[in-house]
Amino acid sequence: MMRKLGMLFALVAAPVAAQDFSEGSNAKSWNLYAEVPAKFEARVVDVLCELTGDCSDDCGAGSRQMGLVRTADDVLVLAMKNSQPAFTGASEELAPFCNQIVEVDGLMLEDEDLGASNVYLVQRIKSADADWIKANKWTKKWAAKYPEAKGKGPWFRRDPRIKEIIGIEGYLGLGLEEDATYAEENF
Amino acid sequence: MRLTLSLLLTSLALPGWASEGTRVQVTGEIIDTWCYYSGVMGGPDAVVGSAHHTCALWCSAGGIPVGLLAEDGTVYMVLKIAQDDASASGDTQLSLAAHTVTADGMLYERDGQNYIVVNEVVSDADIENRTHEDYGTIPSFSFPEPK
Repeated sequence: MMRKLGMLFALVAAPVAAQDFSEGSNAKSWNLYAEVPAKFEARVVDVLCELTGDCSDDCGAGSRQMGLVRTADDVLVLAMKNSQPAFTGASEELAPFCNQIVEVDGLMLEDEDLGASNVYLVQRIKSADADWIKANKWTKKWAAKYPEAKGKGPWFRRDPRIKEIIGIEGYLGLGLEEDATYAEENF
Repeated sequence: MRLTLSLLLTSLALPGWASEGTRVQVTGEIIDTWCYYSGVMGGPDAVVGSAHHTCALWCSAGGIPVGLLAEDGTVYMVLKIAQDDASASGDTQLSLAAHTVTADGMLYERDGQNYIVVNEVVSDADIENRTHEDYGTIPSFSFPEPK
């Protein structure tokens, strides 16, 4: 019994921080200064629920920020970004896997100077025996939510909420007169 | 010994780290955390304020976490503002993009990140950081050429 207990303690106390999560990763580089490829197993969590106990049955169905509690070391990784180069986050990608164990592959950002630690761009997700899927569903979900915004150009030029705010506050957010002055001086 | 092992296994099986948090009041700017942390658009001084207002709207509406960048440089990831728990693409946070605010709330620290649940936005000074005067707009295409 003592030997088994010793082994258990050794397992718990193992220096998992030294583990290289880049092993086996097929993450594509974004040429970011602080990126580190990282593939790991984790439990998908609603961060607000995880930290405060303020929970919803479906992790907010994409409306709340999502995290990944890594199996190897119980570290909470904040999933900030999906794989689309389109100003899009990761919540819509991960919410369908609420409270499930998945594997993820992507890029970790570690920048001590800025305080970036355990923040993540998720590129692929694998649930149980299913195949890997790309974390790139955000724009399709946006298009389904805003059918009236259908048209040419990227979503962020057509989004009704963004257009409304810019229409009032301007691109600089300082009012339309400031925008006019800026345009006159720069175009 | 059985009791010790049982307690150890029980502690390992506890779900989540839910805790009380610490009451804080923070003054700072509501920022786009991806551009700030990743450097994808340039240095941290350029991806805040008026220069980055439109991009901050895009990222907030796109579901990227917004942060509260305090005067001492600490970033607090915003998980809720008053009754609005939509921290991904929510209306309240979208309306505060690039604004300087004072927020009263609860701080939760875990694994190198600071998370804040804002009980109340005590003051909202709108956009104070006129970074476009030094950097133009970041990215430059966020302000389209007038037709």
